[in-house]
Amino acid sequence: MSTIQAIPLNWYILLSAVLFVIGVLGVLYRRNAIIIFMSVELMLNAVNLLLTAFSSYRGDSAGQVFVFFIMAVAAAEVAVGLAILIVIYRNTNSTDINFLNKLKW
Amino acid sequence: MMIKYIFYFLAFVSVFSALMVVVSKNPVHCVLYLIMCFFSIAGHYVLLNAQFLAAVHVIVYAGAIMVLFLFVIMLLNLNTQSEPHKSTWLKFAAAITSGLLLVILVGTLKGSETMVMPVGNPNAGLIKNLGNTLFKDFLLPFEVSSILFLVAMVGAVMLGKKEIK
Amino acid sequence: MQSNLYDYLPILLMFIVAGGFVGGTMFVTHKLGPQIKSKIKLDTFECGIESQGNARIPFSIKYFLVAILFVLFDVEVIFMYPWAVNFKELGLFGFIEMLTFMGFLLLGFFYILKKGALKWE
Repeated sequence: MSTIQAIPLNWYILLSAVLFVIGVLGVLYRRNAIIIFMSVELMLNAVNLLLTAFSSYRGDSAGQVFVFFIMAVAAAEVAVGLAILIVIYRNTNSTDINFLNKLKW
Repeated sequence: MMIKYIFYFLAFVSVFSALMVVVSKNPVHCVLYLIMCFFSIAGHYVLLNAQFLAAVHVIVYAGAIMVLFLFVIMLLNLNTQSEPHKSTWLKFAAAITSGLLLVILVGTLKGSETMVMPVGNPNAGLIKNLGNTLFKDFLLPFEVSSILFLVAMVGAVMLGKKEIK
Repeated sequence: MQSNLYDYLPILLMFIVAGGFVGGTMFVTHKLGPQIKSKIKLDTFECGIESQGNARIPFSIKYFLVAILFVLFDVEVIFMYPWAVNFKELGLFGFIEMLTFMGFLLLGFFYILKKGALKWE
């Protein structure tokens, strides 16, 4: 008996929804920029899991190819984001996002 | 029946470790919990018969998480145990907002009809079929992603490199 | 040809052996070795000189650019596995596809080299 017969698709949707919401909570809850990055990765992974579940249940490879592209986008995002983080660190000597209030009115 | 219990276990591990990433005080613990979460997601991929994706997930995120870990060690002062936290009011607002989002998502799921999926190829997750789809149907996105990599490289070097006078 | 869960038994076995080896060695070394604890023995040792401060200081961020670029080249490789498996089937067209992809990345690599981003400052 395979996963597709054993587990309804809704459970996977529910699981990814919960993981995504935890990622959102992390972004809103923490002040450390590195941990905010981790939460963003968590959200991307929730979406990846959902796409893979749909792809497997439908028997269509396209969904899993999308996951590759999401991984590529995530890597580019991490690279540029961490470079920005380093620049912030050089200027403020911390990774606390509350120092970034220069644009506040 | 076995699969059901494996699913429960993996789902519990992934949700628990994701929550711990958000709430644990020590950033090093956050990174370790994130690794646990990613491994459990790789377990889900294996369960979904997407073996190649599971392998790639471990390869990519082992690298990416290693880099994040490096940054934690390099940038943070680990002597002070607690990072400065947001005010209680803001934390409360964050919890309410994400709770509402969860309610909305679950509500949408409940309201939707159960759709009957047409059964396709059960071997969709095999590397051969993935390659066929990637290099035939998704040719343009594939090439565009290389430009994305190029842009990311240039951006990272431009931002991170100190000009030598 | 749905793959069965039992096909993963060797992999599970490998994980158990790997984890068991780590756990087992740690347990055995703690049990077997003689345990003498004194203040001098548990002191941090720094090549014979007096230790200064503790180990948890934020250290140099000089090679962060190498780490960042590693992530990009790491992800690039995942596109090559499916290509390698389907290499014969895709033929010349697939080869040219991959050549274009690698060409862009090589362009980026030359940019990095020209900028001297990998040099130690």
